[in-house]
Amino acid sequence: MDFSNAFRICASGFQAQRRKIDVIVNNLANINTTRTPEGGPYRRQIVIFGSEPITDTFGDVLDESLKLVTVDRIVRDEKGAKMVFDPTHPDADNKGFVAMPDINSITEMSDMIMANRAYEACVTAFDATKNMVLKTLEMGK
Amino acid sequence: MSDLIIGIGKAASAPDVGKTEPVKEKRRSDATFADLLQNKIQKINSLQVEADQAISKVALEDSGSVHEAVIALEKASISFSTMMEVRNKIVEAYQEIMRMQV
Repeated sequence: MDFSNAFRICASGFQAQRRKIDVIVNNLANINTTRTPEGGPYRRQIVIFGSEPITDTFGDVLDESLKLVTVDRIVRDEKGAKMVFDPTHPDADNKGFVAMPDINSITEMSDMIMANRAYEACVTAFDATKNMVLKTLEMGK
Repeated sequence: MSDLIIGIGKAASAPDVGKTEPVKEKRRSDATFADLLQNKIQKINSLQVEADQAISKVALEDSGSVHEAVIALEKASISFSTMMEVRNKIVEAYQEIMRMQV
């Protein structure tokens, strides 16, 4: 069906934005984590989106200009840890500083709002497509 | 539904009793239309089944994503309304024929 391409692209947008929200929630939840399996404090994670063409006859006609959004990879922020003075903390070094994750909750919250808005935009696009199809069915009445 | 179409085909071919060849041809083309319709209905039914499975995946197994289920539902709903539109047209045509003065 001709409208399923739009639906598939919408679905990929939903999936990508949900994954982004997952990662942001992960960052916010681990804002005070000092112990990780790989050692050291938790490192902030960043989602990188990529696009892949729809492999479809319709996509072929349009010279693969229709692209699905995908989560290309999730990378760790290479910024160093934030040193916080807290001598009572069990993970403090001999000078009393603890290596804390360098996560800014305000940045994370604004990223979250952006992901939310992008998701809402996908929902609106989905509704618009659906309304177009339903309007077409009303044609000739 | 397909019986109805074949019925229409029979009614349309009734005046040509004397000639056998055109009747046969007409009936065959009507049968393909019925087949086409049946195929489409089966496809729409499979979309409904897909939507059912997506919903039960989300609701019962707690796996699969909500948006996929909703998209499956919307696809099923749109294809169903398209089918209803086609059906309305067919019934309209049938009634038009039944209203014909003989």
